[in-house]
Amino acid sequence: MALVVDGLTKDFGSVRALDGVTFSVQRGGICGFLGANGAGKTTTMRIVLGFLRPDSGSVTWDDRETREWPRRTWGYMPEERGLYLRMPVIDQLVFFGTLYGLTRSRARALAAEWLARFRIADYADRKAESLSKGNQQKVQFIATVLHDPDVILMDEPFVGLDPINAALLREAFLELRDRGKTLLFSTHQLDQAEELCDSVAIIDHGRVVTAGPTREVKRSAGHQVVRVATSVPDELVWLRSLPHVTVTHPGRDYTEVRVDAGADPQSVLRAAVARGGDVLRFEVADPSLEQIFVDRVGALDVEERTLAAPEVRP
Amino acid sequence: MSGLANVAAVARREYMVRVTTRSYVFGTVVLLVGVLAIAFAPVIIRAIDQSSQQRIAVHVAATDLAGDPAATLSGLLNAATDTGTPASDRKPDFVVTPVPDLAEARQAVVAGEYAAALEIGRATGGELGFTLYTNDSATGRTAGLIRQATTAIAVSDRLARLGVAPAGQAGLFAPAAFGVEWPDPAKSGPTRGTTEAIGQDMLGFGMTLLIFMMVILYGQWVAASVVEEKSSRVMEVVLNAATPFQLLTGKVLGVGALALTQYGALLLAGVAALLAQGVVAGIVLGDTGGSAPLPQGLTVELLLLFGLYGILGFLLFAVLYAAAGSLVSRQEDVNAIVMPMTVFATFGYLVGVYAAMGLLDIKAAWMVALAQVPLVSPYMMLGRVTTGEAMVWEVPVSVALLVAAIVGALWLAARIYAAGVLMYGQRPSARAIWRLVRSGT
Repeated sequence: MALVVDGLTKDFGSVRALDGVTFSVQRGGICGFLGANGAGKTTTMRIVLGFLRPDSGSVTWDDRETREWPRRTWGYMPEERGLYLRMPVIDQLVFFGTLYGLTRSRARALAAEWLARFRIADYADRKAESLSKGNQQKVQFIATVLHDPDVILMDEPFVGLDPINAALLREAFLELRDRGKTLLFSTHQLDQAEELCDSVAIIDHGRVVTAGPTREVKRSAGHQVVRVATSVPDELVWLRSLPHVTVTHPGRDYTEVRVDAGADPQSVLRAAVARGGDVLRFEVADPSLEQIFVDRVGALDVEERTLAAPEVRP
Repeated sequence: MSGLANVAAVARREYMVRVTTRSYVFGTVVLLVGVLAIAFAPVIIRAIDQSSQQRIAVHVAATDLAGDPAATLSGLLNAATDTGTPASDRKPDFVVTPVPDLAEARQAVVAGEYAAALEIGRATGGELGFTLYTNDSATGRTAGLIRQATTAIAVSDRLARLGVAPAGQAGLFAPAAFGVEWPDPAKSGPTRGTTEAIGQDMLGFGMTLLIFMMVILYGQWVAASVVEEKSSRVMEVVLNAATPFQLLTGKVLGVGALALTQYGALLLAGVAALLAQGVVAGIVLGDTGGSAPLPQGLTVELLLLFGLYGILGFLLFAVLYAAAGSLVSRQEDVNAIVMPMTVFATFGYLVGVYAAMGLLDIKAAWMVALAQVPLVSPYMMLGRVTTGEAMVWEVPVSVALLVAAIVGALWLAARIYAAGVLMYGQRPSARAIWRLVRSGT
């Protein structure tokens, strides 16, 4: 059972928004959907949910077109948060719940549970506009999952949350996954994705540049990362002299280098030992998602960095 | 989750949220005050009338008059303004006081104690002469009534001088037999009184105005509500749960229920006020008469037609208003985008009212045809019915056309809505809208 996005193409006038977008998310998986603004994430999600029809391609859940599944199958948290600002929090949650077929009393009980869990039970009767942005966002998340959907799509769910609330949301994600729910969310916070997602899809200009289980995507880069710290002086100098090694992150505690595909990371260790000093730290790892992203897509351009800055700060 | 349940949930939310808003409550209160003012207008007018009593001073210089001219004048003046209430139950409009000294009386008029002073003298030829001293208009209502009364006194005086005894004069002044009949020989029954005729025209006019107001006010509300959901981006959240058709229908029905609530309250208040009018009149005016019947021509059939055209007209326009609202994403743009509907509504309203008032030829063939056009018929048919110009087939055919138009508009609007609600920041051109309608997404 999986959510399969297969060859989606969509044009808006002369602009090709999606160009053969293909990836899949296994049931019970958390998939990170990564891409710059305007890469096609929102359009893809809207097609998955059936708001838009693709010009070609298909989206299936358990081998059936997503449009054919009942609406309660889906939970959606749009990119732009949307709440009825002048309506009390509990009332609008009940309203959203009833739209998905919950009875009013059931929706009310579930909403109260979620509000308590997110530590905003006191705000139940307050109008949404009187809540802080972070709290509004938690309400938005509750509206997304209140009806217990099987597949949950979220556009930038972590934006604007402080570390404590981000941790609450992460916990909720993991719990939903453990209950067999399937999550797909877009994010700019690549470390967040790396921590949570068992699979990722990186999209750029309407095309998926890479997709699959997070570990495989990271391995697919070919090169590896070595973090090393020694007592040898002039560490940077001799590291730079090694073949197939590039210093990517000279740090105070350790230095991070990139070892080209095909080269042996252990050669760095051997070279360190050969220099005669003590090796204080030696670690071989796959490149981070951020490195993969930069390799594949290029750095987010300056404007988007500025826009994304407050979001990246956890 | 059935579609109907979602329509109901959307309508319920729309209703519950808006019924307590300040603008709705305030608007309803203002309209209620208006309805009560109109319903109690007869009592209010009589109360004002009663308080406006005029004092007239009479100085009689002629010594040989047959009767008491002050009493005669008082009788004539007050009879002329009698509105049908028994004279014993009401205070007279004019109080006529004989004064011995003309100069003093004129001074009193200047001081405002009297509205006017009337001098009755006799010229050398024997004819009576009258002079009115007043600051008011020489051709005003009071002067006019006094002039009429003086003529009667003069005639009576001439007759007395010709030797006709006052008792014999009564027969001379008795009114002649005078009848009014319908011009159509086939038509029998009493002809319409003035109030009756005005009452019926006013009913048609008032009901048309109410429908027009409902469409403009609540149609605009539907559009604004759609835009509000778009601008707060809540649209995408609800769009995942409900289809555009359900959202559109629920919204129109929810706002429609608000309109019905308001109009129901107004209707109840109006009827209650009319029924209570006799009692209130008794308290305010201190009389027991003046029972107020419901306005002439206000039949159950007419009320039902009003409800029918009001609801159908509202539905047709509201659906279009909703579709228009879905095309813009900012409240500032609502007025511009709903302009076509507003123009249609105003056009229909004006033509309907002009026709009912006789400013346009209501019998013309193009008028009959226009009255069948769905966007216009809600404003034209009531006028045609109350003036009695509607032919038997007109009402059923126009209603059928309206219903068909609503179905068509729903189909069209749902397609525009489905695409429009996800459209942000684009200026919708006619071609773009047409593309949306054809493609469906």
